[in-house]
Amino acid sequence: MSLTRFLPQPSDRMGMLWSLLNIEDSVIVEYGPAGTTHYSMGLFGELGIEQENRLFTTHLREEDVVMGDTSRLEKALAEVDDNFHPSVIFVVASSCSEVIGTDLRGVCTMVQPRVKARLIPLTAGGFRGDYAFGIRDTYRLLAEEMVHETKEKQKDTFNILGASVGAYRCKADVLEIVRLMDEAFGLTLHTALCLETDLEKIADMGSASVNLVIRQEALPAARTLEGKCAAPYVYGAPYGYQGTLDWLESVGQKIGREVNPSLKGELKKRAMEATQYRMYGRMLRRDQPKAYLYGEYEAVKGLGAFLGGMGISPEWQICAHSLAPLESAEDAVNYMPHEKERMDLLSQLHRTLLLADDTSRRLVDADNTFIRIATPLIDSAQVAVHMPLMGNRGADMIMETVEAYFNTLR
Amino acid sequence: MDGKELLLRLKTLSQIEDPKKDIHGLTYAQFPGTHCPLMGAAMAVRGIRGAVMMIVGTDECAYYTKHMTIHSEDWGGLMGRCVSVTIDQHDITFGCAKKVEEAFAELMDEQKPEAVFIVTTCVPEIIGDDFDAVAEAMWEKYGVPAMAVHTEHFKCENHMPGVERTITACFRLMEMQERSGGVNVIGQRMGRFEDTELSRVLKNAGVSILAQLPSGCSVEEIRRAPAAQVNIVVNDIGLPLARKMKQRFGTPYVFFDKFTDPAHIAAAYENLFSFLNLPLPDELPELRRAAEEAARQARDTLHGVTFMYGNTPFRCLECCAYMTSLGMVPQLIQSHGIVEEDAEDVQRILVSSDPYMTQAANISPLQYIYDELHPMLYLGHEYPMRLRKKGIAQVHTDMGGGMLGYEVTPYLLKQLLASLEESREIRKGGMNG
Repeated sequence: MSLTRFLPQPSDRMGMLWSLLNIEDSVIVEYGPAGTTHYSMGLFGELGIEQENRLFTTHLREEDVVMGDTSRLEKALAEVDDNFHPSVIFVVASSCSEVIGTDLRGVCTMVQPRVKARLIPLTAGGFRGDYAFGIRDTYRLLAEEMVHETKEKQKDTFNILGASVGAYRCKADVLEIVRLMDEAFGLTLHTALCLETDLEKIADMGSASVNLVIRQEALPAARTLEGKCAAPYVYGAPYGYQGTLDWLESVGQKIGREVNPSLKGELKKRAMEATQYRMYGRMLRRDQPKAYLYGEYEAVKGLGAFLGGMGISPEWQICAHSLAPLESAEDAVNYMPHEKERMDLLSQLHRTLLLADDTSRRLVDADNTFIRIATPLIDSAQVAVHMPLMGNRGADMIMETVEAYFNTLR
Repeated sequence: MDGKELLLRLKTLSQIEDPKKDIHGLTYAQFPGTHCPLMGAAMAVRGIRGAVMMIVGTDECAYYTKHMTIHSEDWGGLMGRCVSVTIDQHDITFGCAKKVEEAFAELMDEQKPEAVFIVTTCVPEIIGDDFDAVAEAMWEKYGVPAMAVHTEHFKCENHMPGVERTITACFRLMEMQERSGGVNVIGQRMGRFEDTELSRVLKNAGVSILAQLPSGCSVEEIRRAPAAQVNIVVNDIGLPLARKMKQRFGTPYVFFDKFTDPAHIAAAYENLFSFLNLPLPDELPELRRAAEEAARQARDTLHGVTFMYGNTPFRCLECCAYMTSLGMVPQLIQSHGIVEEDAEDVQRILVSSDPYMTQAANISPLQYIYDELHPMLYLGHEYPMRLRKKGIAQVHTDMGGGMLGYEVTPYLLKQLLASLEESREIRKGGMNG
């Protein structure tokens, strides 16, 4: 099980980078070989992230590796500070600097008096786990280090904690939550951590009325904000019609408001319609409706519940990343670290509804029905920001394929 | 950023004594930085049909390389010939040789490759596992050629050593052969050799093309490469392999880079056909005449035109020397180094100019240099809109990557003239200037 044939899991460092690159006014300086930075442009470009004047590398030479000379980094930090005047420079380790034991914190402490920007070291070089660890640590770091303490609240505002551009349809999901929150309660978005935000907004995050935690990796950050800023939080993500209504009601309970009756009525009606599919399932003679889900933990869990409500048994719920950084995970959701295990499982699927990534799609027979809910993207690009997986719009989109799936069953 | 200060850090061509030390980067913080040799190795293995690239490195190194190959037919896409063994904290502490052996066994079980390049990256090289020994053992165990290619980026400046080491590793696949009279082409990185003038000239002269490394060959063709009468080395990256082949198999080699100066191209053709023991083809004088005529017509227009040189498919200093000989003025040259073979070109440039020298692949600070030097043309990769805002036209030369012979000269001149016209338009306020 040592061979990786397809794309390996993005590392903690990659998750950290794609999170930090969404923060305007800050600059990232990587202490590592230049080739890694150059190579990353392909993926970050695909994720829609701007890098110019935001991401720099120092490069590393043999003498730096052998002698532990960090003067190259010290000079680069002074230079970026002088040339770009960022408020914050995130000083990010590389696999090389982590292995040779470079003391990034020490370098930052030493250089800090000589620069105007605040230096924040991030010492993970890619060996502490997959991207889920990286985004968790980034959210927590931002909450601890960048958010100003405040008890004052801006009325009718909310933050989203747990937006990750590595997740499929992240931006569309954020926009769907924004729409739902407006329609349900008249609340507006303050900051999404970490999507198209800036240091000023992050500093002021504590003033939002409520924090919506859409993935577990952001829970430590939410608790930090609760302690620092008395900011209440709600954990969960709106998948499916009933799931969206339940989620809205849990938010309403936290903020002491009722969900807009019109939206509530519409969601109830759609949830009821979706349950009609149970009847189709019972009429089948040859097949049992079943689904294979592979993706981010909350998507797998939430969409699994949505399908289950329609009589499609979510038999395989596989998280795309390690469950270790999560605080609790349902038994039904598994993590399969070995590619070969997933390959063997996928090769046995027939007449199954597959909610997964493009790699999975390539590994199953043509008699399965596929909806993309996860990265990596191989057979498609991600352009639309009005096609979420979350909310009733996401549920509508999935229903279209569910209808097609039932047509393949007998 | 102050462009004047940046220029003060740089040495000019005449001041370069030790290129490794004297060609400075514009800044310590670079963007995007150079490509890494791992990518270079991938570029090389792509062209070797039937061979698998097994990357040994971090998730990140493996991810980006696989990501680059996924849409490539040559690689076989997602299910293709690029695989990896990703290393974790445990492997760093206890070594990853065993893991690579396990992965190799899985690979043998599934793909039956004709050869495997075990490509190591920075971290395994730091921890010091002996992958030459691992490759040797795998070759012996499975009877499938396995070669270790070391691509740690901290020991080199860009991706080219990765290409060079991969094609040099192919030496171990070669077996002594009877001479057949054909040629091998070593070092062609871009384009198809079949599409070049040199290929056409050789075919017309009845010379067969044997192995093409790394631009497209099979493992079997590499094995039989010593049958060639001559190796044509079309880039410096082919020189180490050509030297080894000369020593082991007695195969002479001719250096035939993407020269832009017709005189250099003529010398390369003469050298090649002399080793082939064939008369110079009749078509060559006419091809040379056409190239020189194109230069004669362009000379007056190009005289005095200033330029900055970035990354092009051509031989950096040879191309700059040729443009200088046409009266153009190099103001700044981005280069990874100066080698012995560049000595004559350096002197030709210094006859009329003394450009600043800097390392390549750091385009961010260049915009401040533009404000100081105000070049009319920029050769290489940059953001075109940014150049236009500074009154500079970009010279696109990527198509030259698929050319060899006299065809290079008129192509380069045509691109220069087109961009010069664009530059004048921009400076008049047109074309988004």
